[in-house]
Amino acid sequence: MSQSPPSVFEPASKPVSPFSFGRVMVIASSSVTQLVRMKTFYFLLAFAAIIVVLMSLNPPTTPAGVLSTIKRISFGTMDIFAWLFAIVSTALLIPKDIEDRTLYTILSKPVRRIEYLIGKLLGVLFVIAVSLAVMYGICALALFSRESLYIAEELGAMQAGAQYSAEEVEAQIALIQQQGLRLELGIAVLASFLKSAVVASVTIFLSTFASSSLFSIIISVLIFIIGHAHTMATSFWLYQTDNSLLVELILKCVKIFIPNYQLYSFSHGIIQGEAVSYSLVWQMTGLTGVYLVVFIFLSLLVFIDKEF
Amino acid sequence: MSHFKKIPRTVVILVVLAAFGLTRAPFEDRLVRDLIDTKMVVPPPGMTVLDQMGQSALMATLGGLRPLVASFMSLRGYENFSEKNWDELHQTYQVITALEPREEFHWVNAIWHLGINATANMELDTKIPEFERKRRFFNYAQQAIEFADKGIDQIPDSVEIRKQVAEVYREKLKDWSSAARTYGEIKDLDGAPQYAERFHGYFLAKVPGREREAYDYLKGLYDKGADQHLPTLIYEVRRLEEILKIPYPERIPEADLNRNRARPQKPKSKPLPGGVIIP
Repeated sequence: MSQSPPSVFEPASKPVSPFSFGRVMVIASSSVTQLVRMKTFYFLLAFAAIIVVLMSLNPPTTPAGVLSTIKRISFGTMDIFAWLFAIVSTALLIPKDIEDRTLYTILSKPVRRIEYLIGKLLGVLFVIAVSLAVMYGICALALFSRESLYIAEELGAMQAGAQYSAEEVEAQIALIQQQGLRLELGIAVLASFLKSAVVASVTIFLSTFASSSLFSIIISVLIFIIGHAHTMATSFWLYQTDNSLLVELILKCVKIFIPNYQLYSFSHGIIQGEAVSYSLVWQMTGLTGVYLVVFIFLSLLVFIDKEF
Repeated sequence: MSHFKKIPRTVVILVVLAAFGLTRAPFEDRLVRDLIDTKMVVPPPGMTVLDQMGQSALMATLGGLRPLVASFMSLRGYENFSEKNWDELHQTYQVITALEPREEFHWVNAIWHLGINATANMELDTKIPEFERKRRFFNYAQQAIEFADKGIDQIPDSVEIRKQVAEVYREKLKDWSSAARTYGEIKDLDGAPQYAERFHGYFLAKVPGREREAYDYLKGLYDKGADQHLPTLIYEVRRLEEILKIPYPERIPEADLNRNRARPQKPKSKPLPGGVIIP
């Protein structure tokens, strides 16, 4: 009994699925490795150094004031590191793959270009998330130690004279605790993460057609500044030009084409001790998801038939 | 599909971006308003403050670094205070409070620096001619009051801002009417110190023409019970009884001079952190 030879019409291998989460994860993990090898986590040392310097400062104010200053500076630094990292690392990834010729190897395999883009973005987001978590850990430790110290000092001082009522002591401690380590501060970290995610998605879009990493970095930073400023700049520029129609038109175009990063400043209120509106946080998270989908789609439009 | 392929890719990208922008703009506008209403996002600084900002501060603000800039400017404010550069300090705090309008201690610091420190400096600095000193004294006090008004607009329930401006009225301007009004506001707020309700009466009693109002108020406090029978309160009520010619049977008894002997002796000042007591 002889076997019939395979038909010339049969496919040589299994058909490639249109989208595979597994392939995305492989590319994401390789991006993480790539970023780790680029020694990107070293900036955490700089952050730790800033916290150490901050802890040694003794501004002339109340304990609550000192805690507030520590919080504002450390969370502000955390925010800068996160978005700057998002821009630089995303802008470097695709050009580096082209330079190292890794991109040709990847795209010659059954990997969809959308999977490649999503994988790269997820890799960057993972590294940002880890960095933010570590920075928050350092900051929380510093804040908690200072808060405990102040509470102990205030309790000692207030109870020594036996002239303060329990309510007065409680109110004083609550004042310190309000500026100390609170669970809500995690939402402030989330705000930085969401902002960095949008920044990264915009940068990945730019890097799909940019001729160099430098171009992507500069344009991304510019978009970031404009996106942060346009609410304030709108009123300022209109005020200075006496509500010129041309200026109004330009500002409307900017508003349509540039992401509104001012929205992501909601960490400021939380850091100052304001209550968190969770429904707004959810809406912000949803909006970030939409930004990511749209900018990945735009990146794909450029990247899908790009010749390398 | 073939028609779609003929359209330049740039046009497709611009159309998608514009469509996305037009869809999200109203949603984002509402979101910004909600975030400002819930105090999670700080509203943009006013036009006059933007004019005053230095280039670096303005750029940093545009870049979303408001808390950082405000913190570093606070240090600059302290430097202005050390150098007694009050006009510079006024400008610095205008920027700081515009950057972080909901941070209470920026307002309190601004009022304290201008209303207490700058005015004290004008009382003592003999290098400046007296006329100029007086003028500057009132200017700085007025600037402190303006900060307090703006601060209260931002944080309507602030006890600390009112306490600080009340000190300016009380210690510097000797404006008893405004001091009484401010303590009157404080006493009705959550977290008000116990002395605020008495201080309201004490300063009301110093305002010419409002003695009857002050007497009724302080007598009301006195009648609340022995907790309120404090020497200053008794002294003020008795002084007002004299002024208002209250009939003797209705007058309160004199303060019990031995009242404090039964109580444990207190240190002369509240101890600072670490138990340090200022004599």
